[in-house]
Amino acid sequence: MNFKKVILLALLSPIFLVSCTKDEDPIIETPLGAYDNGILILNQGGFNKGNASISYLSNDFSTLQNNIFSLVNPTLILGDVAQNMAIYGDLAFIVANISNKIEVVNRYTMAHVATITTGMNNPRYIAFANGKGYVTNWGNGSSVSDDFVAVLDLTNYTVSGTISVVEGPDKIIENNGYLYVAHSGGFGYGNTISVINTISDAVTSTINVGDVPNSMEINNGSLYVLCEGKSSWSGAETAGELDKVDLGTNTVTSSINFSLTAHPSNLDIDNEKLYYTSGSSVYSMGIAATTLPTSALLTISAQGGNTIYSFAVKNNYIYVGDAGDFSANGKVFTYFSSGTYVHSHTVGVIPAGFCFNK
Amino acid sequence: MTLRKLFVGCFVFGCQFISAQNDSIVPLREVIVSDAQLKNFSQTQSVSVLNDSVIKKNQSSLTSLLNYNSAIYFKENGLGMVSSPSFRGTTAQQTAVIWNGININSQLNGQTDFNTITTRDFDNVAVRAGGGSAIYGSGAIGGSIHLNNDMVFREQFTNELLLNCGSFHFIGANYKIRASTEKASTQISVSRNSSDNDYKYLDTNRKNENGQFQNTSIHANFGYQLNPATILKFYSQLFEGERHFSGTLAAPSKSKYRNLDTRNLMEWDGVFHSFVSKFKLAFLGEQYTYFEDKDQSFYTTGRAETVVVKHDLTYKVNAKLIFNSIVDFTQTKGFGSDVLAHKRQIASGIFLMKLHVFKQLQYEISVRKEDTQNYKSPFLYAIGTKYDVTKNYNLKLNFSRNFRIPTFNDLYWKGSGNASLNPEDAYQFEVGQEMVFKNIRISATGFYNKIENMISWKPNTSGVWRPENTNKVHAYGMESNLNLNEKIGKHNLNLQANYAYTVSENQETKKQLIYTPFHKMITSLEYSYNKTAIYCQFLYNGKVFTSSDNFYKLQEYKVFNMGFDYDFGKSKTYKIGFQILNLFNEKYQSVSMRPMPGINFNINMNLKL
Repeated sequence: MNFKKVILLALLSPIFLVSCTKDEDPIIETPLGAYDNGILILNQGGFNKGNASISYLSNDFSTLQNNIFSLVNPTLILGDVAQNMAIYGDLAFIVANISNKIEVVNRYTMAHVATITTGMNNPRYIAFANGKGYVTNWGNGSSVSDDFVAVLDLTNYTVSGTISVVEGPDKIIENNGYLYVAHSGGFGYGNTISVINTISDAVTSTINVGDVPNSMEINNGSLYVLCEGKSSWSGAETAGELDKVDLGTNTVTSSINFSLTAHPSNLDIDNEKLYYTSGSSVYSMGIAATTLPTSALLTISAQGGNTIYSFAVKNNYIYVGDAGDFSANGKVFTYFSSGTYVHSHTVGVIPAGFCFNK
Repeated sequence: MTLRKLFVGCFVFGCQFISAQNDSIVPLREVIVSDAQLKNFSQTQSVSVLNDSVIKKNQSSLTSLLNYNSAIYFKENGLGMVSSPSFRGTTAQQTAVIWNGININSQLNGQTDFNTITTRDFDNVAVRAGGGSAIYGSGAIGGSIHLNNDMVFREQFTNELLLNCGSFHFIGANYKIRASTEKASTQISVSRNSSDNDYKYLDTNRKNENGQFQNTSIHANFGYQLNPATILKFYSQLFEGERHFSGTLAAPSKSKYRNLDTRNLMEWDGVFHSFVSKFKLAFLGEQYTYFEDKDQSFYTTGRAETVVVKHDLTYKVNAKLIFNSIVDFTQTKGFGSDVLAHKRQIASGIFLMKLHVFKQLQYEISVRKEDTQNYKSPFLYAIGTKYDVTKNYNLKLNFSRNFRIPTFNDLYWKGSGNASLNPEDAYQFEVGQEMVFKNIRISATGFYNKIENMISWKPNTSGVWRPENTNKVHAYGMESNLNLNEKIGKHNLNLQANYAYTVSENQETKKQLIYTPFHKMITSLEYSYNKTAIYCQFLYNGKVFTSSDNFYKLQEYKVFNMGFDYDFGKSKTYKIGFQILNLFNEKYQSVSMRPMPGINFNINMNLKL
């Protein structure tokens, strides 16, 4: 571009000139019909953009289809900031945080089953136990006293009750009729796990862990809790830690500290190995290891990745969701558990979670 | 701060008090308006002025006025909600809004929400396209919008009332009183607008929920001639608004937002032979309160208070040569629950020159240098020329360097502000041509804007968002304009047409910036006969991309408005009017997921006594 062009533009400019270029006709995509034997990737979409979507990647990685919820249900909008997707029976439940709703679909066909819109306030994550659904809710971000777990009646898809909990209930995981709710703290900083008895639907005990527990895994009767520590901008930065909780006694039996600035997240366990991420790197260690790995297993910057936004390990494959600049479509990078890069796929905006749909 | 160093070669502060024995009674044009540079130093660029009658025909928000009467593109989060401009393909912070000569873009977020300005309070609104940072400071990259109140010194006493009632329980009222003599001038204007704003989303069974708004503004201006050569002026404005922020197609909303803006300007003008001196003291206050849940008492808040001390001295050497120097000291304090409390001081020296080499050829030169501890301040300048090739045809060239300084949010946002940011830096070149015949005016301007160090909030590898000086954008395109005025007997015809083609490309990704259309076109046509007027407006906005990879987009849209009014008055005005907005019920979104209203109606009444 140079001045010549500018002058040309100015001289040639007609008064009424509206481009007649027609956009090329959109390619009409048809639903695959069956979305089993693959991975459902939840793309949370941008805040207030309402562009959450679901992508399907087949187990043999040969088929990728984006936007499958809209393809199957063209009149519906999946939601705004789809925080979490979880499978229960033949169904998949999608928690849309800003939309304040849960969409229920058939997980094999993506056909819409129900929408739950009442009884939620800032919903985050969902788990199932004892024939019921449980959804963590932050309530108003600025209020520390209105946080709760909503109990879903799965026969009629309504909220049948609420369990009041301390601030910032986030990830939720079930084991043996009990639910473990990690209080990452919402807009503040939490450091506890609430234990909920799903017969009485009441909090029966509280486990103290490190600051800001952001992910949990259950393995062999133990709960592993990864805490990221308080961030540098909190004014009182703390180190992350990996806590192991004995579920018989609900006590922390061992704890490994991270360096002050590591702030790890995305704990997952596969094949007796424990994985987590820090920055743009993935780390792995033996489940019984008592010290942290000194070097990363892989880093997504090698693939041009920016931010690890979501993460899962399954059957010796590592899946990393990269949110890029959070505006453009994100990417999913796949690696062998050895850390060797396999391939990448462009999915929807901000890939936020993986569901393995056998 | 080394103020003195800056102003070597400039005029001496304090000349304004040499006044007295000048015998002119009617003050110069220069003291009637506060923003003298808009007239004196804007000839080599394109300026279009929207006068009182245009202001009255449009809806009361500045968004609505400019959307239908300029090439500026607007993104509006649903009718009446947060609204920001893209002028010549630039960002919302790259359009400066100038209130009676003072830059009023928010110190907190660097932009003006065009739905928090009520146009009825102003005598005219001018759109100055292209770079203007050397004169107007931060943000005048795409262009600047000038909100002006004229100080009138002649015998006059008028009362004016404007009432509007429309769909969705919209009620708007403006009362204005003007009282002046040859020595004193008073103008007071009070506006009030409110709307339930619960319009239907076309082709759905849903409504715009939680979108109600109301606002009140008061504008009072006083001028007094102390003696024939000295005038004291006060401009004062208060805007208080409360908006519920509406939801989207995908999400409900329960939030509420209040803002309170105050603007006060005291000006002491002196005229002595060839000197015009203006001493200005301005206080600007802005405050927002955001309620996450309108039914709860907790909120977050931000505030900024600005003091501007300015001395503006014009020296007319002869009919061909004008010098103008401006010394400006601005101090801003920002605080609240969202930003760290901070104080910023900026001293600026500005020097302007206008030279008519001969009658057909003029030059305008402006330079500005700021001194502050907060950022590295570039040397800003503009040089322009206008050449009247023939009586009917002229050419304009302008080259300028402009900037946008980091805002309080960029620098001091709790947790993620970046105190080491530098200003955005822009070089602009434009060439314009204009043909003027008896009742027709055609102009076309091509521009090229190279913007570097763009401040954008980006996530780092840990997902923490922080602002950085990163992007480079090249924005270029053209604007063309046609204005036709035909008067035959009692028949009056006015046609305005405006088309802009804009490319605004991120140099790293080679993608068009989001929410900047390639095409925008407006047309308005008015026909009046005697006391009856009928008019229509047409707006076309081309498609825009809504994601940085240009994968997601919003379709283009066309909106057509129509209006009719009749004046029952003989010497006074008793006007009744009716408007149909979005006549063809176009289903459109200005911002993704936020539908705009379909066809709606408005009745208005204008009394001027």
